[in-house]
Amino acid sequence: MSGFIRKRLIDDNAALVQLLGLCPLLAVSNSVVNALGLAIATVFTLTLTNALVSAIKPIISKEIRISLFVLIIASVVTALEMFMNAYFHELYLILGIFIPLIVTNCIIMARAESFASKNSIWLAIKDGFFTGLGFALVLVVIGAIREILGNGSLFNQAHLLFGEFGKIIQWQIFDDYQGFLIAILPPGAFFVLAILIAIKNKVSK
Amino acid sequence: MNKFIKIPLILAMVTFLTSGLIVFSENATREKIAQQKKLLLLESLKDLIPDALHDNDLVQNAVKIYKPKILGHRKEQNLFIGQLNGKTTVIAIPVTARNGYSGDIDLMIGVKVTGEITSVKILEQHETPGLGDLIQANKSDWLKQFPTLSFDKVGIKHWKVKRDGGKFDQITGATITPRAVVAAIKQALLFQKNYAKTTKNGEQK
Repeated sequence: MSGFIRKRLIDDNAALVQLLGLCPLLAVSNSVVNALGLAIATVFTLTLTNALVSAIKPIISKEIRISLFVLIIASVVTALEMFMNAYFHELYLILGIFIPLIVTNCIIMARAESFASKNSIWLAIKDGFFTGLGFALVLVVIGAIREILGNGSLFNQAHLLFGEFGKIIQWQIFDDYQGFLIAILPPGAFFVLAILIAIKNKVSK
Repeated sequence: MNKFIKIPLILAMVTFLTSGLIVFSENATREKIAQQKKLLLLESLKDLIPDALHDNDLVQNAVKIYKPKILGHRKEQNLFIGQLNGKTTVIAIPVTARNGYSGDIDLMIGVKVTGEITSVKILEQHETPGLGDLIQANKSDWLKQFPTLSFDKVGIKHWKVKRDGGKFDQITGATITPRAVVAAIKQALLFQKNYAKTTKNGEQK
């Protein structure tokens, strides 16, 4: 793995090391499918906004750069929201407010400001994709742990994302599982995130 | 070029481009979104107004109603009417229970002309996960006790939870939510009784 990718996936992971974008990370990670839905949306947004920001680099002037970033990010997310509403309608209803809230995910602004606006389009796309992927991986892992602990299942309601194929991969791991409520509730998200950060710190040393 | 001309010009240009993106997405998704919404609606109406009991287009025959006092509506809602050979067989009544534990509970209740409940659906609720949200059909069987009931089977005085001297189980740890739902269903049955009276006269002339 090249240093460029490794840095974005592991060493400087947006969620585990920079602790950015925690609000959606904690809020929608109560099942793998929810987490995956938001993860894909975030990777897509980050890649596209990075590309667009880099593309208008020649005309960005210092005074208005933040306004331009906001304009681009907000309109990309609005467009994404409409397409999700049209093609993944039920998932869109579940993710609800967290789709439009991708606008306020600080990872996206941070990458636009600190990377995309200073580098070529191709580098900006790569940066957006792998930073997003690092965030997405953490999101999905937390989602998986919380769903297994809380519901005793994995990929529950996957048909919302994958259609018919999703019904096949739904997996009830423990039959007749009573549920471990705190894993599904917000405190569970904090616990799981904390454990992941602890593991990451231990391994990095 | 003068800075005071250049900067607004750049902003205007980027605004124009991003607005274009939104207009394009809106156009590309408008029909699909409307179609998805209709599909989801018809799917949720299936239990309320069974296919065997109607041969009309439910969406086209829907009537707007607004009864804030008796049905708790916050805005205009759709009343769906199932008809067989031009005669009303079932109506699906939207009710908003304003006395939930946290916020409104939106329900839809299907009632046959005979006053018998076909099904009860929770459309939206924000009750406590693990307690109040057990009213949802996918979380517990609580909601399944209502179909086929009517005022003939359970007297109007007994449409309460057991704690209030009624006929229906509350959920352990949550009394407020079931109380609100039972009351909402009772209101719907009362509404249907009135509705049946008034439309019968209407149809006869």
